[in-house]
Amino acid sequence: MKSASFSPVRGILMLIVAVFFLFPLIWIVLMSFETNGDILRSPPRLFFSPTLHNYVSLILGKLGGGVGTMTVDYMRNMMNSVILSVCSVVVSLILGVPAAYAFARFKFRGGEDMAFTLLSFRFAPPLLVLLPLLRYFQVIGLYDTYFGLVWVYQLITLPLVLWIVRGYFEDVSEDIELAYRLDGHSWLATFFKIAIPLARPGIAAAALLAFIYAWNNFIFALILGSSSVQPVTVGALAFITASGIEYGQIAAALVLSVIPTLVLAIFTQRYLVEGLSLGAIKG
Amino acid sequence: MATLDLDDISKIYPGSRDRAVDHVSMKIEDGEIIALLGSSGCGKTSTLRMVAGFESVTEGTVKLGDRIVNNLKPAERNIAMAFEGYALYPPLKVRDNIAFSLLRDRTPRAEIDKRVGEISDMLELGPMMERYPPGLSGGQQQRVSLARALIRKAAIYLLDEPMSQLEPQLRALLRARIKDHLIANKMTTVIVTHDQTEAIALADRIAVMDNGLLQQFGTPEDLRERPSNLFVASFIGEPPMNLFSAEVAGGVLQVFDNEGAAAFTLPLRQGALPPGSRVMIGMRPHKLRVSEDLAGATLRGRVVTNHWLGDHSHVGVQVGGCFLIAVAGRHVVAPVGAEVGIIAPEDAVHVFDVANGQAIRHGLHDQATAA
Amino acid sequence: MSFLTVQRLSKAYKKQEVIQDLSFTVDRLETLVVFGPSGAGKTVLLRLIAGMIRPDRGNIIVDGRDITDLNPEHRHLGMAFQNFALYPHMTAYENIASPLRSRRIAQSEVDQRVHEVAKLLRIDHVVSHLPKALSNGQKQRTALARSLIAKPNLILLDDPLRNVDAKVRYEMRLELPQLLRARETTVVYVTQDYKEAMALGDRIAVLVDGRIEQIATPREIYERPANSRIARLFGDPPINLLPVSTVPGSQGAQIRVASTDVALPGGAGARDGCVLGLRPEDVAVGFEAQPGAMPVEIDAVTPLNDREVMLLRARDGTEIFASAPQGHMAGSGQRGRREAWATLDLSHSHFFDTAGGARL
Repeated sequence: MKSASFSPVRGILMLIVAVFFLFPLIWIVLMSFETNGDILRSPPRLFFSPTLHNYVSLILGKLGGGVGTMTVDYMRNMMNSVILSVCSVVVSLILGVPAAYAFARFKFRGGEDMAFTLLSFRFAPPLLVLLPLLRYFQVIGLYDTYFGLVWVYQLITLPLVLWIVRGYFEDVSEDIELAYRLDGHSWLATFFKIAIPLARPGIAAAALLAFIYAWNNFIFALILGSSSVQPVTVGALAFITASGIEYGQIAAALVLSVIPTLVLAIFTQRYLVEGLSLGAIKG
Repeated sequence: MATLDLDDISKIYPGSRDRAVDHVSMKIEDGEIIALLGSSGCGKTSTLRMVAGFESVTEGTVKLGDRIVNNLKPAERNIAMAFEGYALYPPLKVRDNIAFSLLRDRTPRAEIDKRVGEISDMLELGPMMERYPPGLSGGQQQRVSLARALIRKAAIYLLDEPMSQLEPQLRALLRARIKDHLIANKMTTVIVTHDQTEAIALADRIAVMDNGLLQQFGTPEDLRERPSNLFVASFIGEPPMNLFSAEVAGGVLQVFDNEGAAAFTLPLRQGALPPGSRVMIGMRPHKLRVSEDLAGATLRGRVVTNHWLGDHSHVGVQVGGCFLIAVAGRHVVAPVGAEVGIIAPEDAVHVFDVANGQAIRHGLHDQATAA
Repeated sequence: MSFLTVQRLSKAYKKQEVIQDLSFTVDRLETLVVFGPSGAGKTVLLRLIAGMIRPDRGNIIVDGRDITDLNPEHRHLGMAFQNFALYPHMTAYENIASPLRSRRIAQSEVDQRVHEVAKLLRIDHVVSHLPKALSNGQKQRTALARSLIAKPNLILLDDPLRNVDAKVRYEMRLELPQLLRARETTVVYVTQDYKEAMALGDRIAVLVDGRIEQIATPREIYERPANSRIARLFGDPPINLLPVSTVPGSQGAQIRVASTDVALPGGAGARDGCVLGLRPEDVAVGFEAQPGAMPVEIDAVTPLNDREVMLLRARDGTEIFASAPQGHMAGSGQRGRREAWATLDLSHSHFFDTAGGARL
């Protein structure tokens, strides 16, 4: 039964869920403004004097630990993350969108098998392929290069793009494309002027997801690159030092690393919502 | 088998300020078939759902027989319903879907078989009794859903768009058989439909709804001959009523076209309408007669379309700037472009108020009034 | 001189022949309605002509040019779809202008032509809207405008009035022929509504199971259907199909229908064990016994628009439809079952073979 009434029980339940999900996030944000001393104090205190120290040292690349200072180029890791994720998504879109279109529109022999094989890359544990890959990469000179990592990242991002966008292409009525071709437009024009714009919400969603997966990847970069190409996920390891764990700085590093994905999610939301309202295609 | 009495009922959905159903009152006799007719969003389905008990009644009372059922659960109201989306049980065979309520009531096997056999013959379901609903076409599923509702013995039968998907060649036959079944068994029935053809074919009385309001509740003949307002007049009939604006001037009714230019005049008896009054007039196509003989015709015009449909013809005639449709029960030979006469009997003309659309008179003869 | 020629066209999906060895021609400026029940292959036929799918065999010739192997964009056809197929991300204006854009026509001319055709279809006030802001009627008018704007010589209309409400459908049924005549084009129109077919078609091709069973003018199809299946597809309520036998010793002057002997004028056509096709409008109902009338029970009266329709039941259980314009049948306003008499007018009757349904 439809009911918009707001019962107190429902309110309390929703509050519990919200606290459960948001608590770790809020805690991390709070931690990033505390000194290591405040963090490790037991029992923990809710009120403390906030400090920007963690952020400053991250940005300057000088870590003030318990004993002396050490140099960690976290900003370089940030840059690497951006380069790797953006390049991976762009490559996946360039390869994946036309492929998704082909899988959606044309039934060709072995098509389903090919699509499934690509998806099955997602099932295999990464370590299965990593060690042989490491050897090959070292031999052919792809080890510790952006190019090599972007290539391997396709294992993660390409299947995502392919399968999500394919579904959206399948939802675009074939009649709409036929109508455009009967208007005298070539199939290439039809692809760019009709199919792509109508699948745009799907492409945006796939790109966003692919970006997040690429951004959060850890294992490929850990093994196939050195610090010069490693992203934030691997970079955060540097804060676990012989003399202790720099919780404050890890927290600050995490907050910084979430910001790009967050911004992107907010930005793409517009397209995702637009996608819902375009549901009137068949109308 | 019971009466149904809707007393001033309204429905306001939570979060909305508008009345989806706005002070509707209707008394339905025992064994009567009525139709709730209107386009989507007019409130007909909300009304039905309040009767069924799927929606709470915001104001007013719903009385089934002599009980007020406002606060009873659907299962306690003794109603049978056919849903627009069929709502069949997919894991059950068609036979068991139809027999479901009888099985639940522990009816003896022999009686179940007899009743299921009768209803499936009536709805031509014989060949699909052992099949499962997901394998059936929309029209077939709809027939199963109807069978499941009609087989029950209930106080009232609620049918939501019951025949919208039926195969065209079967529709006429099933309409007739179902109507016969409802009347023979004295079943009180409420049919919700957007299709005025279906309402007219089946119902004893029709409730035309628009915007949550009951526009008119009457027999098909009432709606056709005495529509209470412009909405009903333009909703009922295929083709719909020809509507034009007009003015009483110099003892005649001056009719205007869409651009406001004078198109033709209709004779008007003295005192039928006050001079100078501006009105809307409607002329029902079935009352207009096309005549190849120009003498004696009320109006003259040029044939624009002439569609012969087998047992009748629709002829579109341009008279001045006005386009009129006339229906003839025969083949009209006049080709497109020919000049023909139109005979408009006095009782073919309905007059409506320009401002509020209410009917002023039906027919231009002396005694006619809207009341 | 035929404008569109379809020669021995065949198309199969998974070994199921959807279009079977189809041949027909359409004259210049003619409107051919392809009519048939759903699943008959109407839409596939239209898609073959449009070039969206390729035939397994056969040729399609338009204006003397074989277009069988051309891509859709080179066929210069206009087409309107059942689901409108408007481009949802473009305004109605851009939708309509699309065929001109591909021909790289100057903006000033595009402007002028879009407004001309939009005015013709009475949608000039909404051309700046996106499709989702249009009513279904306006959507279909936009789709029609798009199919007409480039002045194609051949227009394919795929059940264009299916998804608009009854009022708009009726309006368009009146308006379309004038519109198509004004644009001087040849039309292939697909529908499964027999009234639309009869109203719009110069000729009707009845497509059943991928084959054309009859192609003729509406009048010929209604009055001389090639078989009992076609007879049943035209008319509402549908034609009565009643098994008959000849009355022994009457030399064919009498036939037995529903266990009643009826005189057969002319005496032709009937033979033992065939089926009589009798239109409901040829059955008259009265309440007084008349010579040659059949005793029946009126089961139900279900008015159809302004016609009375009655379902009659003969003594042996045979169901027979009767219909007449309102006011022409006595006592039709009453409710419930009643005894009555039916008079069959056999002067327009048809006789069909019992087995194959072919016209005798």
